[in-house]
Amino acid sequence: MLTVPRVTPLPYLRCLYPLILLLSALSGRAAPAPDLPTAWNDIADSKAKLALVKLGRADTSDRAVQLARATASLDDQPVSDGDLRRAEATFAQLAQGHDELAEQAAYLQARVWQIHLAQPDYARAAELYRALAERNPRSHWAQLGLVKLALVQLYALPDPADPAARLAGAAALLSRVTEPTLQRDLQLQLGQAGIFYKQPLPSIIAHLVAADRIGGTPGAAGEDLILQIGELSLRAGDYATSRAYFERYLRDYEVNPRCFTVKEKLQQIAAHEAAAKGGRP
Amino acid sequence: MRFAKRGWIGLGIIIGGYLVAAGWVWTHSAPLIPDRPVTIRIAHWQVEAGPPDGMDAVIKRYEQLNPRVRVLQQLIPGIVYKQWMRTNLASGSGADIIEWGAWLEGVRDVPARYFEPVTEALGQPNPYNKGTVLEKTPWQKTFKDNLQGSRNDSPDPGQIFGVTMTECSVRLFCNRQLLREATGSEHVPQTFDEMRKIFLQLDAYSQRTGHRVMGIAGAKDNAEWLLQYLLMDTTLGLNFSIDDSGMLSMYNRQVLAAYLDGRWNWSRPEVRAGLELLRDVGRHMKPGFLQLQRDEATREFLAGDALFIFTGTWDATSLKRLASFEVGALRFPQPAKDDPIAGPYLIGRFQDGGGVTAMAMHLTKNSAHKAEALDFMRFMTSLEGQQLFTDGSGWLPATLEVKIPPAIQSFVSPLDGYTMCQPYSIIGSTVTMEFERNLHLLLGQNGSVDRYVAELDRVMPAAVRADLQTEVSSTLITLRAQDARMIAQARLSGPTQEGIYHAGQRALMESGQTLAEATTMQMMRQLKTAGPAE
Repeated sequence: MLTVPRVTPLPYLRCLYPLILLLSALSGRAAPAPDLPTAWNDIADSKAKLALVKLGRADTSDRAVQLARATASLDDQPVSDGDLRRAEATFAQLAQGHDELAEQAAYLQARVWQIHLAQPDYARAAELYRALAERNPRSHWAQLGLVKLALVQLYALPDPADPAARLAGAAALLSRVTEPTLQRDLQLQLGQAGIFYKQPLPSIIAHLVAADRIGGTPGAAGEDLILQIGELSLRAGDYATSRAYFERYLRDYEVNPRCFTVKEKLQQIAAHEAAAKGGRP
Repeated sequence: MRFAKRGWIGLGIIIGGYLVAAGWVWTHSAPLIPDRPVTIRIAHWQVEAGPPDGMDAVIKRYEQLNPRVRVLQQLIPGIVYKQWMRTNLASGSGADIIEWGAWLEGVRDVPARYFEPVTEALGQPNPYNKGTVLEKTPWQKTFKDNLQGSRNDSPDPGQIFGVTMTECSVRLFCNRQLLREATGSEHVPQTFDEMRKIFLQLDAYSQRTGHRVMGIAGAKDNAEWLLQYLLMDTTLGLNFSIDDSGMLSMYNRQVLAAYLDGRWNWSRPEVRAGLELLRDVGRHMKPGFLQLQRDEATREFLAGDALFIFTGTWDATSLKRLASFEVGALRFPQPAKDDPIAGPYLIGRFQDGGGVTAMAMHLTKNSAHKAEALDFMRFMTSLEGQQLFTDGSGWLPATLEVKIPPAIQSFVSPLDGYTMCQPYSIIGSTVTMEFERNLHLLLGQNGSVDRYVAELDRVMPAAVRADLQTEVSSTLITLRAQDARMIAQARLSGPTQEGIYHAGQRALMESGQTLAEATTMQMMRQLKTAGPAE
């Protein structure tokens, strides 16, 4: 288990705390407010322990501080289910508001049920994603929640048992996801789920092509996507699409070792096309 | 009086001991006052002959160009590397630049927790390439493979954490002098069948001279590398047949999932053919080689007791420096379609290395001198830095346009084969363990392919499940941590330049998380629903 040294003052300095409190009371000043931007920077940097030290433990009505503390506690290793349930309660309370902070809290509340707890409750997570999307359909966090809801529907919920029905249920969310990058991510996942559940190739390819049209798929997945469309189109007998994507791959990724296979595939396409025309390859 | 005398002797011993210890510390420790304002450290496990010399050459030149900076190289043996890395990173005392690889078990979460992405810097030209043909090329595009390995291994798809130093391949190293003596020719085997014939000539040579010479230097490690190689050859067609996703390559999780789906097993004829080939070659390794480590195979080869040794180019510099004879590096002859064992399953040549660069170096998030460390990373992967590394180490460069010395030209693998291959023996740590643990059933005195595959198919369902579960668990660690980081990036977003940067990071992380999360959920469903056995 990871251990990060907790930054605490030397024990014998604790005896000065009452004096500090007395002096601050006499001077009429409240304890300094937590440095929120620095704490968020620490959380973004995977330094949850450091962030929690900066945020302090004093009771506060500041919702931003409450959100920061609960968020940091999700990554303050070792995390117990008790810690997670306390964080979930805070998120649930903060989610009652009517601002972006409330949307972020509602999103995190669903995430706790979906992937943080040792025994996830996917039905509860799905319910919370749906509630968030109904309350604030245009909020980014609601939109992101819909993508996560699709994943839960595709792979985690017990029903429906029929893969095609699962896919149809998740695909129905597409019309509610309006942010292009999230629309792309959902299209891509619908395509991948179609492959996983061995669905007909045309429907898989349609989702993958839709994801590619939006563009910007990050990392190696973007490269894989071009090959997938090329190869699956070849298997579906759509040689024109297959050729276009394989040729694009050779242009965009000329140094990848898979180029050898792609060139072989282009020769196969040429042979198929020649055969279709009644000629010889 | 007697007590006082003994007391003085004791005191003298203590003072003497203290003075010796103080003298040792004074002469062997780092100077109390650093001779340069900034000191950065780079740590890696490439302790073989070559890489430390190459890195020293790079450091020496860098320090000439940057008089403010001292660079220290830390060589950490592979056997303790993971523990060393974990301890140092957790305590915040890790080196500024650290080597990491995705195949290291138990440290998959390290990049997300402790390393800084260098994606943004990779989009800009490397300033150390100024005045060269790579002057205007974005840093990422100066690598032979555009950092494909680092992109594949990234915990945040879209972010790149590591820059690479070299390119590896596997080779059949040959004692050319012994080849001449044994065969009367300098002709090296071009096909698997020619290699078989040379082994027969070698048996005759041994009988003739009374000097027992084996065909291939034997050790457990080398046998396993050879097995991976041979399996890649015979299972190429099988891999294409289970590539449902159409990516024209397979990730480990996909091969494991296909096994659970009952799409392949170790009794498949393609797999059996690979195992049969290994038995064929294994007969020309010395008896009992399964008990030996790779150092022993190296010793056997260097002593002239074996004609060939099969290993990676990572051992090449050691072999060449230590051998008293000329060492040749050959591409291992792949079986042809008329091969009686493998022929029916071959679909073409497979790629024997090359194409993907390695020895990935990462910038530590907690580095006190991030700017200087990043600057050094730029230099060590620049054209000049890589030339120095290549010349000093005898390893291939990772950067384009570096002149490859004639002595290592044969390490370069042209991209002339399929890359779909997946070494079936290393698709997961538990699978690998079972593979290795039972190897005696294949290569031992009473071993056979039948005994080996029967045992593997008995133990592998549980092993495959264990490896898939490990993959799920390690990905979940990263996914959970990303939730907190994403919200933090969102809270830091805004109209300022810094705020826009955080918004971009958030968007990238969200997409990457969804990609990895979907894959993890697929594996979880696979574990829940698929056979063939619990």
